[in-house]
Amino acid sequence: MKPILEIKGLYKNFGGLEALRDITFEINPLEIIGLIGPNGAGKTTLFNCVAGLEKPTRGEILFSDTRRSVSIGGKKPESVTALGIARTFQNIRLFDNLTVIDNVKIGQHCRTRSNFFGAVVRTPGQQEEERLVTDKANEFLEFVGLAGRGEEIASSMPYGNQRRLEIARALATEPRLLMLDEPAAGMNPQESRDLMALIRRIRDNGITILLIEHDMKVVMGVCERVVVINHGQWLAEGRPQDVQNNPKVIEAYLGKGAADAASAG
Amino acid sequence: MGKWFPTKFRRGDIIRIGVFALALVVPFLPFVSDYLLHIVVLVFLYMILALGLNIVPGFNGLLDLGYVGFYGIGAYTSGLLTVHFGLSFWIIVPLAFMNGAIWGILLGAPTLRLTGDYFAIVTFGFSELVVLLITNEIWLTRGPLGLPGIDPVSIDLTLFGGPKWELVGELPYYYLALFMVLVTVFVMYRIQDSRLGRAWFAIRDDEVAAVSCGINLLTYKVIAFAISAAFGAVGGAFFARWVTFLSPDMFKFWESFLILCMIVLGGMGNVWGVMVGAFVLVSMSEILRELLPLLGLPVEVRFLAFGLIMVLMMRFRPAGLLPIPAVAARMRAGRVRRKKIKGPVAVKK
Repeated sequence: MKPILEIKGLYKNFGGLEALRDITFEINPLEIIGLIGPNGAGKTTLFNCVAGLEKPTRGEILFSDTRRSVSIGGKKPESVTALGIARTFQNIRLFDNLTVIDNVKIGQHCRTRSNFFGAVVRTPGQQEEERLVTDKANEFLEFVGLAGRGEEIASSMPYGNQRRLEIARALATEPRLLMLDEPAAGMNPQESRDLMALIRRIRDNGITILLIEHDMKVVMGVCERVVVINHGQWLAEGRPQDVQNNPKVIEAYLGKGAADAASAG
Repeated sequence: MGKWFPTKFRRGDIIRIGVFALALVVPFLPFVSDYLLHIVVLVFLYMILALGLNIVPGFNGLLDLGYVGFYGIGAYTSGLLTVHFGLSFWIIVPLAFMNGAIWGILLGAPTLRLTGDYFAIVTFGFSELVVLLITNEIWLTRGPLGLPGIDPVSIDLTLFGGPKWELVGELPYYYLALFMVLVTVFVMYRIQDSRLGRAWFAIRDDEVAAVSCGINLLTYKVIAFAISAAFGAVGGAFFARWVTFLSPDMFKFWESFLILCMIVLGGMGNVWGVMVGAFVLVSMSEILRELLPLLGLPVEVRFLAFGLIMVLMMRFRPAGLLPIPAVAARMRAGRVRRKKIKGPVAVKK
């Protein structure tokens, strides 16, 4: 099957710092793929390049459906979202002063059309669209387990729920590829398990998932394939268990001594 | 509407209906003089202006120091069209709205890429430019001599075989201004609860998250700036036909600052707060104008009083008299927490 996302020879420099160096990998449709690596490895930079928040220095990013491929390297973030790539953020970025449901409705922005005239006159088209947006927003809230909390102020919710809300908002953009940046950070074991179930359900609804995660239980539990990067370079790739035992990966995380000990033992 | 005041829906509604009813009968109260009515019309005018400005700092989180430029453009659009072409007020209002929006787009499209403070400086420069233009283009505006003899507003039904009324005295302007305030509030309410308003609030709260939701920052900021400018121009159009005389020094930077103060005082982003801010500052300005000479102080001391109010607000209530609901909720939560912390200390004593 044709990959949904192909990253080919991607470089990203910040001045003299090479944050990403010749990264190449593919994501197949309906895969749950993990992107791991030590702190500062360049995982979030890679996300930002795909999402359009950073412009790659060199290399290509291809986003495909069954019919065609689009090169999205250097495209504006709003166009990337419109094409069907959504993301969440490492440090939660919600619209703090808005209600939960308004947060999700904003996710629908790029799928709706009404404008100033529609808003003031409340044309039939605009009313229909608002009804649809509200219904969908409620569906997404229910899907992530926040049903009935739509009228709360986003920033007043507990941390775990804010994570869920961010996922609901990303889903509301109706993506084909969802990128989650450390969704399990700061979650207790029960919340992590719920999150894994949620990630699987999202995939079962036809959305491919790319996931940055430090919590190895989550990575091992939910990912079907893992890509490891270190110092901005591709290091290893494969099934979670294989990657876990790869000496190069152990070295990257724990140092050379640990890798030797692991291979000796 | 309810979701903006979920907890106080009923009480808030009753207050609003009460205030509206009061506004309808004010001119007929026994102690109301023409002077007082004039002040209330001024309050209404500043409500329109403050509501228009509120779109930019309140809904989008961008500092705009040049709003009075659009007010001036609207006023002179109205004045010149009346003097030279004798157009009706009812035609001039949409024209002023469009002219304001055009200038908003012309200024906003290239400059809204700038971040925060730099944008504020550009807007400040713009308002100064407008004053300079009005002052120096004497062939068009008569410059510092001012533009006298603008016809007052009239209702002309001769086309349909009806009569023609010219609005004289303060009473008709009172109702005209009230009507315009109501229309402005109506528009603001509908925008708030729409795709457009949500996009603005998203930009205000987090630009990065907003683009990730597919919102084009520049487009939506320019729309905001244009609509804000358009309301400023409509305020100006009314002003010109109401006072029937314009001069460049009516549109100095001070006015921009005063309107910004109204928003900050009332509660940035909250439609009702902004209106309260306009009411408080305009009426206080008039009260001080009467009061200060009695105390043997020059009238200009009221500017000091405004400064003092702003300092006190920043210290004790930075979100304004009527903050937006989320901030109000956080403030309530903060009070509860402070009380809890204070509790044990009090027990120790």
